[in-house]
Amino acid sequence: MLARRQWLFAMAALLPILAIFAWVRFYPIEETLRMSLHEWNLISKTRPFIGFANFQELFGDELFLTALFNTTVIAFGTLAITIPVGMGIAALINYRLGSRLAGVFETTTFIPYIVPLVPAAMAWKWIFDARLGPLNAFLSLFGISPLSWLFDPVLSVICVIVLCAWQAIGYAVLIYVVGFRNLPTNVFEAAKLDGASGLQAFWHVAVPLLRPITLYVSVVTLISGFNVYAQAYVLASDAQGAPGRQVRVLVLDMLENSFRNYRVGYAASEAVILLAIVLLLTLVQFSLLRERGAR
Amino acid sequence: MTVVPTEAETRPLVAEPSAPRRPFSALNLVIDIVLLLFCVLMLLPLLFLISNAFKTPQEILAWPPTLIPHDPIVSNFTAVLTTTPLLRWIGNSALFATLSTICIVATSSVGGYIFAKFKFRSLHAIFILFLATAIVPFEIYMIPLYFQAQQLHILNSIWGLLLGYMVMGFGIFLIRQNVEQTIPDELLDAARIDGANELAIFVLIVLPLLRGALAALAVLAFFQAWTAFAWPLIVGTTKDSYTIEVGLALFQTGFTIDLGRLSAASTIVLVPSVVLFAILRRNFVRGITATGLKE
Amino acid sequence: MSREHKSERPAGITRTAIFGATLGVALLGSSVSVLADQITVWSGYPEMAPFYQHVAEGLKAQFPDLTVDVEAIGLRDHEKRVALGISSQNAADVIELATSSATRYMQEDLLQHPPADVASYVQDPANFDKYFSDAASYNGQVYGAPLFRGQSALYYNTDMFKAAGLTEPPKTMDDYTKYAAKLAQRDANGNLTVSGWSMRLSGGGQGIAEKFWINMFQYGGNIVVQQPDGKWKMTLATPEGHKNLAQYIQVVHGDKSDTIEAPADSDAFERGQTAMFIRESWVIGDIAKKAPDLKYATSTLPMGSIVSPVNLFVGSDQHSAEAWAFIKAATSPENQLWMLENVGWLPNRANLDYTEILKKTPQFAAFVQLPKDYKFFQLPNIGPADEFLTRVAAKLTDDFADASLLNNDAGIDAALKSASDDGAAVLDRAGILAK
Repeated sequence: MLARRQWLFAMAALLPILAIFAWVRFYPIEETLRMSLHEWNLISKTRPFIGFANFQELFGDELFLTALFNTTVIAFGTLAITIPVGMGIAALINYRLGSRLAGVFETTTFIPYIVPLVPAAMAWKWIFDARLGPLNAFLSLFGISPLSWLFDPVLSVICVIVLCAWQAIGYAVLIYVVGFRNLPTNVFEAAKLDGASGLQAFWHVAVPLLRPITLYVSVVTLISGFNVYAQAYVLASDAQGAPGRQVRVLVLDMLENSFRNYRVGYAASEAVILLAIVLLLTLVQFSLLRERGAR
Repeated sequence: MTVVPTEAETRPLVAEPSAPRRPFSALNLVIDIVLLLFCVLMLLPLLFLISNAFKTPQEILAWPPTLIPHDPIVSNFTAVLTTTPLLRWIGNSALFATLSTICIVATSSVGGYIFAKFKFRSLHAIFILFLATAIVPFEIYMIPLYFQAQQLHILNSIWGLLLGYMVMGFGIFLIRQNVEQTIPDELLDAARIDGANELAIFVLIVLPLLRGALAALAVLAFFQAWTAFAWPLIVGTTKDSYTIEVGLALFQTGFTIDLGRLSAASTIVLVPSVVLFAILRRNFVRGITATGLKE
Repeated sequence: MSREHKSERPAGITRTAIFGATLGVALLGSSVSVLADQITVWSGYPEMAPFYQHVAEGLKAQFPDLTVDVEAIGLRDHEKRVALGISSQNAADVIELATSSATRYMQEDLLQHPPADVASYVQDPANFDKYFSDAASYNGQVYGAPLFRGQSALYYNTDMFKAAGLTEPPKTMDDYTKYAAKLAQRDANGNLTVSGWSMRLSGGGQGIAEKFWINMFQYGGNIVVQQPDGKWKMTLATPEGHKNLAQYIQVVHGDKSDTIEAPADSDAFERGQTAMFIRESWVIGDIAKKAPDLKYATSTLPMGSIVSPVNLFVGSDQHSAEAWAFIKAATSPENQLWMLENVGWLPNRANLDYTEILKKTPQFAAFVQLPKDYKFFQLPNIGPADEFLTRVAAKLTDDFADASLLNNDAGIDAALKSASDDGAAVLDRAGILAK
């Protein structure tokens, strides 16, 4: 009887939330899956079912493959910078935990993560500017001739990676600082007694113990890396009269196919690919953790 | 997917001034210097941006670039404020972020509590569904959601923006973990025996105990909406309905040449973000680290 | 949960709430007061905003209470909002749109039909040449009114020409390559400081293909040609296309008179970073604003130019009377001349008297006083025009950066074939590829 009353209360309280979720999450996700099997040009009344034709076309579509490639490079590139730098800086901050400055360091590294992206990207755009930017001015001090950061196909991708990493590092530092703080101190002391130096203890004790944190930060960084859009939009957008190389990324290609090429179904199939990647990454994270838990 | 209660919860993350200080050592000094340099590096792009905002058009085009304006002017700011509805855009963003925060806090507190304390198998299935939506990136179902907004005739409005940011799967998860760890069943049962009804228990007992977690969630939700880009970009097509991120981005593609004004506009946006972050820093850091602790 | 923070957490959330609520109230208040007599104009050219304001001023006599809200943003974002706005019945009252972008909306009958008097105003040859009224119509139905057109000419820096001993503008495409090599300036290390000819090698996808086509047209070629049956045939991988791409490669990798990373386009020209480039007439207005002291002249192109007509349409039935009145006013002879003089875009109105403006700004001559046999082409009026050009441009961008194509005829042919195939695939999918 009591259980039944509680169940009724729970359902009554949950129902509105369930309705909202169904409305703004379940249904649109289902629509994406459904539309990926259809052809629709945004303005016509009919939406013929075309099976997997969109997906077939995707894998012969060079713009999509470029976007997929760029996005993957950006995601893993960001990861490659974020993890070591984040872990290193967090270790140093952790070492100086007693200092008055620790809080300042932590907060400062975090600011890039919270500032709105567009103004931040604007700042980076100027830094990378081939003719006016301080980066080339700085490099010229070492006799390096100016590089065209935002125009070169390889360099422009690197620029996006730097911007993404700049934002992601603060988050990684924060999580790692918590991780370091939660490491059992006696393990370090034991290592020290065995004659290990601070650096050795860091490498052989802390890094392995932090594996779950590293895994978590990696997956979060990768997933947000695969969703990169605003960074590329501002840094390398195709504004009229403002030449610069467009770094084609998945979300950009998706929006362009939907709202510029009027191929909503085709864009939905791109979204499904993106979804598959994200699910795969999450799956990898869980299975690695489970494996570790089983041991 | 269990959350390990960590010491982050009990120890202040940002070092307290009262923390014991280590004795002075050369190593500490070196580490401080390294960290300080790193922090300056992280802030440098933003400082450049602010500096550019005060430069004359001639100085902006000067080579090598100057770091501090020789002859600071404010005309960039006055020009931006008179020619663009920048304040309106900031207002739109603030309103959107506030409403989104209210919705997310409301749905997450109710949902999290129900899922934590009403253990029915049917509810658990719903919880898993909710959680699954937290993994799916917004960009994937953004386009179908757009058509829903269109059918409701709420494009170009705050309500259209809000549609995408009413719930947060992760928020429900966060609150559920919190309730499980901090609110003992005995407390609720005692209240039930005293004759309190379920609603009263939630409002009078559970909510006050959740204040800390909800504050952290609120700040997370606020900044998530405040920095949203792709969704406002497609929902708002009229000048009055832009959020600050979108307004700035379109401003830059429309007037590429005027770097001084762009920087001024960006600075105006940066300031409230950083100030708000400074005020809410503690809650924010708590919220962010909570996201990292699901293992 | 920790105990020690209890006192400050609620403060945090309260601050957020107060902050938001204050702003919220202020905003809700302001957004309620939407004016009843207001029309919105959407433009993809920020420099056109003063023109629309000027037209609105002139409408005051007829509609004293009317306010006109002009929203001019970058072209790509403008096209996107038009797509979103029209498909959701949320479009502005007056929409400025190039024929190539408007075709799909006219096909689907998604733009408002003008009242009979406006339709006959547009179709009257005394007002607009048939070419331009057709550009604002589909299957005989008038949808909008012709406003201005993009048409290209050469801009060259006369000081730099003088310094290089050049007295005449280039006449043939061969001249262009030679001139570019002579005009390029380098620093002591051999780095290019002033490009001889800014060719548009990067940037907006569609723009690259467009500029490539303009140059190819000087050789008598086109990227794609419509067949008598209405379908389209790819003519990119042809001798004309070959000559054109070979010229790009020669300039960029052979003579290095232009480079991918060199500042380009009007910005570079205004700052003295390039000696010449091909662009539409709006640059004249832009130079007047941003570099009034620049010494430059214009010249017609060797063979002919692109014409891309831009029209005004009505996107919503809310205020159609005011919207059509606005469009008629914008295309009146006085306003059309004002537009040329103050913005620099070429009017599409027929029988305008340019003598006054030419006296003041002789550079317009290369746009309005044309050789007798000057030829024109236009971008295909097909639904997927943007996608088609973007695909071709994606390939061309890579080719421009490919130094191995220098003096490599087989490589150039293969590159063109590959770009052509990509374009053909888009046409084929739309069912308009001539086999």
